[in-house]
Amino acid sequence: MPELRVDGVTKRFDKVLAVDNASFTASPGRILGLLGPNGAGKTTTIRMIAYITVPDTGQVLFGDKQVGPWSQKQMGYLPEERGLYRKMKVGEQLTYFGELKGLSHSEAVKRVKHWLDRFDASDWYGRKTNELSKGMQQKVQFVTAVLHDPELLILDEPFVGLDPINAEVLQDVIMELKEAGRTILFASHRMEQVEQLCDDICLISQGKIVVNGELREIKKSFGRNTILLDFEGPDGFLDDLESRQLVRINVRSKSHAEIRLLNDTRPRVVLDEALRHTHEISRFELVEPSMREIFVTAVTAQQGAEAIEV
Amino acid sequence: MTNNIFIVAKYEFLKRVKTKWFVITTLLGPMALIAFIAIIGYVSISSLTSDDKTVAVLDATGILFDGLNDEDGQITFVVSNMPEDSVRKAVIRGVFDGYLLLDDQIISGSGEATYFSKDGGGASFFSRKLRNLVRSTVEERRLLEQHVPPEVFEILNARVDVNMVKLSDTGETTGGTEAFAVVGFIMGFLIYIAMFVYGTVVMQGVMQEKINRVVEIIVSSVRPFDLLMGKVLGIGAMGLLQMTFWAILIMAGVLLSGTVVAAFLDPATLNLPASASQDELLAAADFTIPSIEPAVFIWFVAFFLLGYLLYASLFSAIGSSVEQQQDAQSLMLPVMLPIILSIVFLQPLIEAPNSTLAIVLSMIPFTSPISMVVRFAITDIPFWEVSLSFLILVGSFIGSIWVASRIYRVGILMYGKKASFADLIRWARLS
Repeated sequence: MPELRVDGVTKRFDKVLAVDNASFTASPGRILGLLGPNGAGKTTTIRMIAYITVPDTGQVLFGDKQVGPWSQKQMGYLPEERGLYRKMKVGEQLTYFGELKGLSHSEAVKRVKHWLDRFDASDWYGRKTNELSKGMQQKVQFVTAVLHDPELLILDEPFVGLDPINAEVLQDVIMELKEAGRTILFASHRMEQVEQLCDDICLISQGKIVVNGELREIKKSFGRNTILLDFEGPDGFLDDLESRQLVRINVRSKSHAEIRLLNDTRPRVVLDEALRHTHEISRFELVEPSMREIFVTAVTAQQGAEAIEV
Repeated sequence: MTNNIFIVAKYEFLKRVKTKWFVITTLLGPMALIAFIAIIGYVSISSLTSDDKTVAVLDATGILFDGLNDEDGQITFVVSNMPEDSVRKAVIRGVFDGYLLLDDQIISGSGEATYFSKDGGGASFFSRKLRNLVRSTVEERRLLEQHVPPEVFEILNARVDVNMVKLSDTGETTGGTEAFAVVGFIMGFLIYIAMFVYGTVVMQGVMQEKINRVVEIIVSSVRPFDLLMGKVLGIGAMGLLQMTFWAILIMAGVLLSGTVVAAFLDPATLNLPASASQDELLAAADFTIPSIEPAVFIWFVAFFLLGYLLYASLFSAIGSSVEQQQDAQSLMLPVMLPIILSIVFLQPLIEAPNSTLAIVLSMIPFTSPISMVVRFAITDIPFWEVSLSFLILVGSFIGSIWVASRIYRVGILMYGKKASFADLIRWARLS
């Protein structure tokens, strides 16, 4: 199975440097999480991998060959902005996409039926797309990406608009494809999903790759510097800690907080304060940072002191 | 990747041929054309007739009134001995449609006739008819007073016909110049539809794909050029199917037209016996079905296809650069201008198919599809001239599809910004 290698790729639009000398690798049988704030250059990177646009410098290799029309046939793409022909029938349009990927007409029809079956949607075959709900269209859209059994799969926010049950069906399919040795690129802003699905991470900010590597290694490298605290009672002490620049509160609710230790603050400083001010503590755990925390830290560091909302 | 072009073309064709729009326009197109011709015919015929009118005549000469007589009975003349004032009031009250004042010096040549009415007479069929009636009555009276013999009357009244004959290398064709003008007009009109209507269909298709965001999926499977070419060819095939259907109907109509026209001809007015055959009737009425030379037809199809391709490529570039119908309007204007110009110049072209204007228009690729075919249908044009015009057109299409595909490639993925012409030129120059 070929691996995907993005090698020193740069793309410029007028004066905007969309992607700046980016290099990373996605391996077969693994899922690479492609992350980054809006406008970071993710879509441009994906488009260059999909051979929709070409880089100004650098190259994208699939196996040991540059991507081109040949690799498009071996690649399935689910773009972030979903689109289907509204007035065309579901079966007809899926068959069309299959044929464009190089399947014969009869083979395309067979596979469309198979996949609709898989998603419990056999009776949609003859229905017009604009009669389907958003979630249904979402599944149809996913089928366009996997119909031709591609070696490389690019999924941009595949779970948006799906209910938990359908999301699970989709996740099963993605995991199956991974087990079958496909190379999968997964772009998302949903950090819990990234954490759950991805083996590797590539984080882009302002066109540059700021974090790249195996998810577990990255987490480890950030160290155990995050405290998960469940408590009862007043929470004013958290504000106090934060105003003294000792910590940053990442997630906060009435009785829960995810606390990031700053400036070498020791965990027991937080514990002391908590013991002094709360009525009860049901959890105090020192953990590796969450993906969300890594995202914020890395992007903030890259963009200077600018506050970033995820 | 010609296979991709074929797949795209196939789906574009099937998708469109199956729509209600296609079925309706294909079936109703000829009816609309017939209705259009019928309305024009009705309007021009109704301007040749008028409502019945009653005209009071104040005849100072006392003798002219007897000669005033409308054979069709549309104008009824009533002699009046009342003073002019009361006749005037009667006209205003609506008793008469108007009154005619005939001077007593009119026969001797120094007087004149005046018609008074509420609507002023105008340039209508009625005023022309009244003028002719008064004029011929006065003329007749003048001749009579000079004792001109009746033979001279007859000579003066005899009709003078001028026949039109078209000369060509292969011989001459009688009585057909109007018919050739009609054939040319219909052909020009069909090419106009091909360029404008089908061109717009291509533009809409490109726009829809961009707005729906389907285009990103497709260009992750095929090259933008293949998608563009497939689309243009698929819609072109649809247009060709529609045109072929219409052409068959028109041909059937032309073949039947002799019978239809003959059915409306009255043998008596053509001085033929009632038992006259259809051919005799048509010959007497000077009606001939123009025979279209195969060359005319071949060039028509060639210019039809290339004209469509040229404009489809231009329209697709526009479609790719906009996200809303309104934004397309301003960009469409410069593309539509040459098409409109060729329609505007159709009349002068038909009247003088070998004028400098006609030759220039039939060489410029943006106007040549309509202009050259119309000229070719009417008059003989040297082979080298048509070929040159066609080659220029082919070359322009190759150039325009190349530029259009470069604009298209960038345009389909550009969102959010309203593109200007400067943007299009910049996109085309991007590597």
